Amino acid sequence: MKPETLAWIILVLPLLSAAVITLFTRRQPGLSARISVGAVALAFVASILLVLGYGRLHLGPGEMLLTSVSWLEVGGLSVDLGLRLDAMSNLMLLMVTGVGLMIHLYSRGYMEGDPGYSRFFASLSLFMFSMLGIVLAANFVMMFLFWELVGVSSYLLIGFWHERASAADAAKKAFLTNRLGDFGFLLGIIMVWSALGTVDFLDIQRALTVNPAALGVGASLAGVLIFLGAMGKSAQFPLHVWLPDAMEGPTPVSALIHAATMVAAGVYMLARSFVVFNVPSAWPGGLDFLHGVTALDVIAWIGGVTSLLAALMAVQQSDIKRILAYSTLSQLGYMVMAVGCAKPDAGMFHLLTHAFFKALLFLGAGSIIHALHHEQNIWKMGGLKSRLPVTYWTFLVGTLALCGVPPFSGFYSKDGILAAAETRPLLFALGLLVAGLTAFYMFRLVFVALRGVPRDAQVTHAHEPGPTMLWPLRLLALASVLAGFWGMEGVLQGVFGRATHDSHGGWLATALAPFGHAPLAAMMGLFATGFGFALAWSLYGSGPAHDPLPEKLGVVARWMRDKFYFDELYAVLIRVTHDALAGLADWADRWLVAGFLVRGTHGTMDVFGRVLRLVQTGNLQTYAFAAALGLAVVMWLMLM
Amino acid sequence: MNLSLLGPELVLIGLGLALLLADLVVPPDRRRYLGGAAAVLALALALYVLRGPGLAGEPAYAFGDRFVVDGLSGFFKAIFLTAGAVVLVLAVDWAHSQQQAVTEYFVLILFALAGMMLAASANDFTVMYVALELVTVTFYVLTSYQRNRVASLEAGVKYLILGALSSAFLVYGIALCYGASGTMHFREIAAKSAELADHRLFQLGMLMVFGGLAFKVALFPFQVWAPDVYEGSPAPTTAFLAIGSKGAGVVLLVRLFGNVAPELALKWEPLLMGVAGISILYGSLCAIPQRSLKRLLGYSSIANGGFVLIGIATASKAGSAAVLFYLAGYLFTVLAAFLVISMVVQRLETDDISALSGLHHRAPLLAAALALAMISLAGVPPLAGFFGKFLVLKALVDQGASFPAWYALAGVAIVGVVISFWYYFGVVRAMYWPESNGDLTTLPVPPLIQVALAVCVAGILALGLFPGTVWDAAVAAVAGLRL
Repeated sequence: MKPETLAWIILVLPLLSAAVITLFTRRQPGLSARISVGAVALAFVASILLVLGYGRLHLGPGEMLLTSVSWLEVGGLSVDLGLRLDAMSNLMLLMVTGVGLMIHLYSRGYMEGDPGYSRFFASLSLFMFSMLGIVLAANFVMMFLFWELVGVSSYLLIGFWHERASAADAAKKAFLTNRLGDFGFLLGIIMVWSALGTVDFLDIQRALTVNPAALGVGASLAGVLIFLGAMGKSAQFPLHVWLPDAMEGPTPVSALIHAATMVAAGVYMLARSFVVFNVPSAWPGGLDFLHGVTALDVIAWIGGVTSLLAALMAVQQSDIKRILAYSTLSQLGYMVMAVGCAKPDAGMFHLLTHAFFKALLFLGAGSIIHALHHEQNIWKMGGLKSRLPVTYWTFLVGTLALCGVPPFSGFYSKDGILAAAETRPLLFALGLLVAGLTAFYMFRLVFVALRGVPRDAQVTHAHEPGPTMLWPLRLLALASVLAGFWGMEGVLQGVFGRATHDSHGGWLATALAPFGHAPLAAMMGLFATGFGFALAWSLYGSGPAHDPLPEKLGVVARWMRDKFYFDELYAVLIRVTHDALAGLADWADRWLVAGFLVRGTHGTMDVFGRVLRLVQTGNLQTYAFAAALGLAVVMWLMLM
Repeated sequence: MNLSLLGPELVLIGLGLALLLADLVVPPDRRRYLGGAAAVLALALALYVLRGPGLAGEPAYAFGDRFVVDGLSGFFKAIFLTAGAVVLVLAVDWAHSQQQAVTEYFVLILFALAGMMLAASANDFTVMYVALELVTVTFYVLTSYQRNRVASLEAGVKYLILGALSSAFLVYGIALCYGASGTMHFREIAAKSAELADHRLFQLGMLMVFGGLAFKVALFPFQVWAPDVYEGSPAPTTAFLAIGSKGAGVVLLVRLFGNVAPELALKWEPLLMGVAGISILYGSLCAIPQRSLKRLLGYSSIANGGFVLIGIATASKAGSAAVLFYLAGYLFTVLAAFLVISMVVQRLETDDISALSGLHHRAPLLAAALALAMISLAGVPPLAGFFGKFLVLKALVDQGASFPAWYALAGVAIVGVVISFWYYFGVVRAMYWPESNGDLTTLPVPPLIQVALAVCVAGILALGLFPGTVWDAAVAAVAGLRL
């Protein structure tokens, strides 16, 4: 089979599954789950076949396979749907379908008995379709289309338990915040299109290679606007507020969408359209004061600030899923920072490894929550190590990977990011600080929630979930260990046309490579992690009943716990502007739209309709007369 | 003479006769299966026609060139046969709830189907008239089939008298055309159509023929029968009227104005344009206050007839191809709607819109299919109805350069679309946002109907998402027109 055909199959399978479940099998939850799992499993197999079909994963720089079908061609109008297969999208395909498969399997156990079981799997399939669409998109318009679809399916899944007001609100918040970013994204796409006359990634790349200034005076603005889309999806400061609330969704959803795949779409998009950002600084008239600042600088700093803020917030959370959510935010900030430092390959590498261990951590958290009957407060846990051994050990693997301890995968990808920031001392220091904080809050979580003694009676009844939930944990743990020295880094560096420092000297050499080519970053990163761990050990190692940190830090701890009051700040901001706008809109709606336009037209049309209906008397003679009269009038008009 | 060209028609008639005989031996509770068998055969014939002779290559003739098999006839026959198959499925389910003989109902549907197919292949006024009469006379019985229901009888009588009137127009018009041209044969008329177009007697005759066909398509001013007959007839009959009978009129209009006398189409542009515009506005406006679903679709069918006439009126190949595409989309959309309406009418014994209240909970599949059909009828992308309207309007605007009044008609059409949102979405609203929480018991949907609905929904989506294949077929089908 041709690789193009396989790519189309991968894309369409989940959509089919969503359609079949929605239309036919809603009443048979077991069957729905099997269809959904089957679709993603087939897509995973097809992705593997696709990669093997090339004979190698390493497509050289610039090597790619494009396929497009003309969606519609009438006269001069033609709309294409294009897919693009290259090393980067292949890796993403493997990751999205692989992690997706694990989480689908896990969900079968986790969602057991939920009245919306079928709806859950239909939404999950819809999400897979949209995410694969983003991965395979060959142009901005198609990416935007699937971007919006991902937003919709995320909305459906965050609000899955829509009878809970908090879930419904969180879904709304996520959707609206994302819309804000998407608006910028769309404006950016339009700017690129009007400057270059194309939205195709390859054409854009060609045009910008020939003339880096082709985007004109709006170059940096267009970059920042497109980045706004990524800020929404990848929850970057200041649009980060939706992600922690999104944890209201079922835990497998948090793992798949709000940790491993969707939130990473922003980073993927940045890497995919990297050429647009990698141009000399150019601002239009009104924004001259930004002279010299490139779009990449903006991206790097937004990413850095997000990673630091989120890490600080994570330190004082007590909800297990929220801790992981802030950690996701922080890691996304890392990736964005790497792109901003002109090393998109490092960002992508971290994206891929992060997907494995963060999905693992979330699923582990899900298994704990499941065992404790939906208790999410870590201060009511403790002593789970002996009761949930598989969960504990896999969670520990995930934690070590996230903290960047060698030889776990996170070490290699985080090292790449720190190495990327080495030339910018301030960002480098910020990255190290975040690395330390990460180790601190993650081991705080491990010591408080998993080790020590039970703090709540419920813990004593906890037991491991069934094998459908344990096997995904084990497999993801394996992936979290191995993803680091599998050669992804080299593949990604190839995509962006950089020399790879793959030291082809066996796995040991690969494992130790970071110490060779970026010793400063590797050593400093390890040191920061060790420091964070030591701090966590000294504060929480003894298993305290309460968090000792607030006493030590005082008001700062409260700021961290209350997320630096961003939600409150936005609430005030929105209330003030919103009230003013709403007043105006209400007036316009009430008097202009509803009163004049709608009622006016409605009234006129209604009168027309009622008058015309009088013709329809039901009387046969009238009908016959009308028909004959009609013909007579027509004849008179035409022939006289 | 090439009798094999009539294969599908002969098979249908033979099948009808065979069913009548089978009725004598099959026990009453099994007779429904006869309808099912007929549906399967109709579908098989549709596939045969799609790959059959003439569709792709040169036209083939039989009976002294009075019967033609070409792309145009092939495309319409496929539409008729698909419609027939779905209507038969619907009739099988409907027959379940009837106390009277059912086999005849299936047989009449088959005969009407044969008539429509003959009409698609007619290449002579006589064949055309006989074919149309076969359709119309059969429908007299089909509309009044429920003898114990006054509404059905009333619909039958109205259709009978008005149908007879239109047949009278038609046959008188044919006579005048014969008087003017001295031939019944389409090809011979086509040969001298340029001079005939200026012949007053021929014009008069063609006007009357147009009137007779406009009755079938339910175009203003011959539309008055549609709402009453749609409302009173049994649901399968209404479905077949809406797509089959209308289609028979459309294929003949396309052939007459596209192949036989294209000069007249050009000459009569203002007439066709006016009729199309008024039909769209009339259908859309009158539908607003309707509460009966079948009646609502009756008005909607008038408006849709107007859209079809726009395509014919443009007197261009693009316009004619758009007409074909439009009907293909309309086929799936209307059948999906009637499948649902028939279910609702049978189970709840009313076709008031309020009966749909809460259908989303009672039968999600029915609600989803009807919602999709309504949204497609309203012309929302990316569904079949959208592309039909889009292609017709595109053909219209392309002609605007030569005749600016076309822009005005496009404006009227768009106004009609906007008005139609109103009542189409009223139906959707009734299902998904009920005003009161009434009965919420589950409505069972028989598996056969589920399959038919799935086919229709797939058709609506496929024509909307991948219009290419059907559009290419439509373009190929009209390639032989003299436009």
